[in-house]
Amino acid sequence: MMIWTRLPNQGKGVKVPRNFRLLEELEEGQKGVGDGTVSWGLEDDEDMTLTRWRGMIIGPPRTIYENRMYSLKVECGPRYPEAPPFVRFVTKINLNGVHNSNGVVDTRAVSALAKWQNSYSIRVVLQELRRLMMCKENMKLPQPPEGQIYTN
Amino acid sequence: MAENSGTDPTVDSNVVENAASDGTMIVVTVKTPKDKEEIAISEDSSVAQFKEEISKRFNAKQDQLVLIFAGKILKDGDTLNQHGIKDGLTVHLVIKTAPKTTVGGTSQSSASSSGTPQANSSINPSAVPNASTTPGTGPTPASTQPPNLLSGFGDLSSLSGMGMGSANFMEMQQQMQRQLMSNPEMLSQIMDNPLVQNMMSNPDLMRQMIVTNPQMQQLMERNPEISHMLNNPELMRQTMELARNPAMMQEMMRNQDRALSNLESIPGGYNALRRMYTDIQEPMFSAAREQFGNNPFSPSRTENREPLPNPWGPPGTSPSESRGTGASTTTTSSAGGTAPSASNPLGINASGLGNGVFGSPGMQSLMQQISENPQLMQNMLSAPYMRSMMQSLAQNPELASQGSNPTAATNPSQQQQQLMQQMLQMFAGGGGGSLTLTPEVRFQQQLDQLSAMGFINREANLQALIATGGDINAAIERLLGSQPS
Repeated sequence: MMIWTRLPNQGKGVKVPRNFRLLEELEEGQKGVGDGTVSWGLEDDEDMTLTRWRGMIIGPPRTIYENRMYSLKVECGPRYPEAPPFVRFVTKINLNGVHNSNGVVDTRAVSALAKWQNSYSIRVVLQELRRLMMCKENMKLPQPPEGQIYTN
Repeated sequence: MAENSGTDPTVDSNVVENAASDGTMIVVTVKTPKDKEEIAISEDSSVAQFKEEISKRFNAKQDQLVLIFAGKILKDGDTLNQHGIKDGLTVHLVIKTAPKTTVGGTSQSSASSSGTPQANSSINPSAVPNASTTPGTGPTPASTQPPNLLSGFGDLSSLSGMGMGSANFMEMQQQMQRQLMSNPEMLSQIMDNPLVQNMMSNPDLMRQMIVTNPQMQQLMERNPEISHMLNNPELMRQTMELARNPAMMQEMMRNQDRALSNLESIPGGYNALRRMYTDIQEPMFSAAREQFGNNPFSPSRTENREPLPNPWGPPGTSPSESRGTGASTTTTSSAGGTAPSASNPLGINASGLGNGVFGSPGMQSLMQQISENPQLMQNMLSAPYMRSMMQSLAQNPELASQGSNPTAATNPSQQQQQLMQQMLQMFAGGGGGSLTLTPEVRFQQQLDQLSAMGFINREANLQALIATGGDINAAIERLLGSQPS
């Protein structure tokens, strides 16, 4: 019973209640935890299930993504954080691992998603995507004009 | 006057204006990737008002500001309340720099800058790929610029305007390059231009310029050290200092000539140098061939007093594309003329990559080539980067010994030593000596070895050595092959 009151941490074997975790992530998103290159928050503040989230990645400098802001939708299912969230880009992007047609992020292409651990968070996923933008194979990919979004 | 409907606009605006003082003040942290500021604002304010405060604090124009909170972009018409921004929370800020110094925008930014060839706007790495993929955004000449680093000196293109009627900006630039190639004075004029110097003093900018060049990018792919180096602002600054100051470079070259002869005494120094040279061998060799014909440096000098190899050589003839071995490869571009300003900056600071360079397996072939062609040696040594590397080696014996292969250090083959000595002879040999050492002199040691082994026919030995470029083993095979079994 004590386990249930423990705060989410990297402790292995501690199963953190989903809502606890998500509330903490919400707070972190509002407080700007991290290096300021990614941002996340609830899509709808009234969403009591804390399922639909929005993320923002600021394109890393010295890459073709520089100065652009990429909006994403993150969906944390009922089994989160045991199961990874679904992530898709809203802003059009040309990035390995992201479907060209709808912006859905391929779980197998992002190691944080492929090898998901319950200690990972939305921030971790966003930061990893940003890191992918800095990879040699991605950093020079030609990009669609700024401001376009996926319609499906 | 018509009756005012419902709300009096003036009253409303008053209310809005007073909102700042009437509403509760909250303190919101505004965070950029580099900065963090706390801004006090009324909790009822709109995003636009918030931006106004921010623009004052961050010294940026309001329309350059993009605010992000909880993963959403805050639009000017929204209110802070709407997004749930409360006291103590953090909002992310991105200041969109106008396409003046920042590169990597969109094709639109390059298109908009096409009209005015500003020094920086024309450098747009995304312009190159974007131009090819963006359908019909009115690709103006500028937006389809080739990876032409000279484009950076766009506003000097007026120089090229003289005598050239080309309306195409691109062509103008290329012509300017050609002119520069033939006229070193123009080069120094350009270097003196404060704009150029200003630009060169901005490491980020230089880095971007370098990165733009696809040949550079290829090099970078092959050699992570290059990108590390580019990412090191200190190094870039140093490099640019050197690049800006040709006199300084020449001075350095001379120092290094002397320093190099000191290397003889450093244990393992030979091997370090050997490896170093091999790394540069391929590109240099082809560069020497392509650009310099036979030997631009008069044989009676070891030091290069001529104007530096033209950094703004024609792109596309770069041999470095096909052979990218060491970090020093980049400097070949100076010879091959690919990455204009990239060559010098990178070249000079190849010393920073000393460690990376030493491990290259390409060294062997370099040594062979060198022994074949003393002039190549000379060419190589005159290149700016060589000087810097040698200087750094001289200054840093630990570096040199680190770089050397332990086994090789303890057991340098005769041949390596000979090659080293030949190299050292060549450039330590002051101004008077002739560069073209006779094969006999070059292969003196090998000849001695061969005769010690029992090959008494000196003539034949010499022929064999010449044919194999000093490789004793190969020479022996040759000699044995020609004898009746």
